[in-house]
Amino acid sequence: MPPNACSRACASASQVLPDAMDFIVTTLLNALTLISILMLVGLGLAISFGLMNVTNLAHGEFVTVGAFAVYFVQSIGGSFWLGLLAAPIAGAVVGCVLEFAIIRHLYSRPVSTVLATWGVSLILQQGLELTFGLGAKPVTPPIEGTFDLFFTVYPAYRLILIGIAIATLLGVILLISRTSFGLDIRTVIQNREMAEGVGINTRRTYAIAFTFGAAIAGLAGGLVAPLAIVLPQMGVNYLANAFFVVIVGGVGSIGGLVAGSVFVGGLTSVLNYQISPSLAQAIVLLAAIVAVRLRPNGLFNGASR
Amino acid sequence: MIARDRNWLLVFATCVVLAVVYPFFADGYQLTVIRDALIFGLFAASLDFFWGRTGILCFGHAAFFGIGGYIMALVTLNDAIPLGSLLGIIGAVSGAAFVAAIIGYFLFFGGIRGSYFTIVTLAMGVICQQAAVSWSSVTGGDSGLIGIPPIAFDLGGLPVDLSQDLPSYIFVAAIVAVAVLALWSISRGRWGTVLTAIQDNEVRAAALGHNAPLRLLVTFILSAAIAGLAGALYVCMAGLVAPDLSGLLLSTEVIVWVAVGGRGTLLGPVLGAIAIQRAQQTISSFNPSLWPLLLGCVFVIIVFVLPDGILSIYARLKSLFRTRRHAP
Repeated sequence: MPPNACSRACASASQVLPDAMDFIVTTLLNALTLISILMLVGLGLAISFGLMNVTNLAHGEFVTVGAFAVYFVQSIGGSFWLGLLAAPIAGAVVGCVLEFAIIRHLYSRPVSTVLATWGVSLILQQGLELTFGLGAKPVTPPIEGTFDLFFTVYPAYRLILIGIAIATLLGVILLISRTSFGLDIRTVIQNREMAEGVGINTRRTYAIAFTFGAAIAGLAGGLVAPLAIVLPQMGVNYLANAFFVVIVGGVGSIGGLVAGSVFVGGLTSVLNYQISPSLAQAIVLLAAIVAVRLRPNGLFNGASR
Repeated sequence: MIARDRNWLLVFATCVVLAVVYPFFADGYQLTVIRDALIFGLFAASLDFFWGRTGILCFGHAAFFGIGGYIMALVTLNDAIPLGSLLGIIGAVSGAAFVAAIIGYFLFFGGIRGSYFTIVTLAMGVICQQAAVSWSSVTGGDSGLIGIPPIAFDLGGLPVDLSQDLPSYIFVAAIVAVAVLALWSISRGRWGTVLTAIQDNEVRAAALGHNAPLRLLVTFILSAAIAGLAGALYVCMAGLVAPDLSGLLLSTEVIVWVAVGGRGTLLGPVLGAIAIQRAQQTISSFNPSLWPLLLGCVFVIIVFVLPDGILSIYARLKSLFRTRRHAP
């Protein structure tokens, strides 16, 4: 997560209006920014980890690839929006190749999947470093100004980010619940053998679902690029947090994804004001472990049962 | 004694003989290289003790190595504490065990197994490294702590000073040999058998009256304690401690050592650690950023070509010849 950017934005905003309402709204919006990103990154993981039972440790690299796609498009003179279009495409390409070359051969070997995807993650990181060189890559946001929200002023780009994230999530919900491809996915997830029996190509469905998750993670990377420090190694933090989202929220429902994102994102951004980011991370980890101990099926599933 | 055990002891004895003979042919520098590699070998064996027998992969084992290292450094650098080396080792081992006990309790008794455990330990490793970097008033931040004295203590009136190459090599080799033998005898006995039963079918093992979470927890604590010991030894030999020692790259490397050496053999990971570190030093001297790239390739290759480690080549060749002999 971009804790530095978070606290900086909050600090500058709160100097303008040192007011309790201002503080609350800013905190909420900062939390919402983080929650939006976590939902997008977690969505792909919920598909691969939660539903296909594939532990993909290269998922963080989809985010990295998306962020680098925006950087690359900007560096050759394109606009941010063009880059944001390229980000999910880049994520999808990497995800598709990964599924095709490695993951589909290892569906029955979970530990091997962990090792192989971690290897791919290392290869991608070093590949990006060798291609683009050491050091953080600058990505400029499309809009610099702030937006007056009556209680507070807030960076306009962050509001756009939240809007795009929510729109994407709604689009995914529609896709899964209303289209025939969504029906295929739900069928395969419920019972793979039966799905094959009624003539669904399960391999293809898995491959498309995986690629789709990678594309969404790439989009998340593109969205977060202007706020984050764009490095080849940036993916691992998103990886760890997205796994917490899926583990805490429980697998198998959009509601769980939202609950997990609110838990991890909300706790992280609230703690980031009080203490150092790494201590905040440690506390979120401990809270997640305790939450899993208390509700092994996830916050959302546990509550509904 | 069954044949597998005899073979293991044979290999173990060969390694011990090689380790005893080695100082007669090696100079001081080569001794220190092997000594440091042996410490990482002990670290690899500690991971293998848990991963090999339970089938659950810990992806943040370097956290325990780092915790052991930092505790050892803090204790020995503090002049007010008497018997620094001895208390440091005790503190390092119990500190790593304590952290493992807390995390392991919540995970194992919470029913967390398999991939979920791997993920949570991965995050634990990330956080440990971040904590080591950001808690700079104690840990020295990015640059770590330097000037850690070599191990020195009194052994019944006999002063032991490990500042020289040869005594430190002997000390480390002896500890590694004893620890590996001890871990092996635990894992081949009843304890290991029950662990295998839990790995195969936990519900059934529990129905037979075994407390599966407790067994897994104790195994995990023991594994972490050995990792902490390895960390403490390394820090004293190297003279410095840095956040890398608890980092994700070391956690990754130790998995490669175990996977290449052969999971579940305890001795294979030690040999794997020594061999791969030699390779790493050679490759890194060309280009330092090439190593993680190759490491990634090794992961993929292991999974697809050698799922049982390098030692399995021998078994495969043997079975190949056996089928040929029987074929006509």
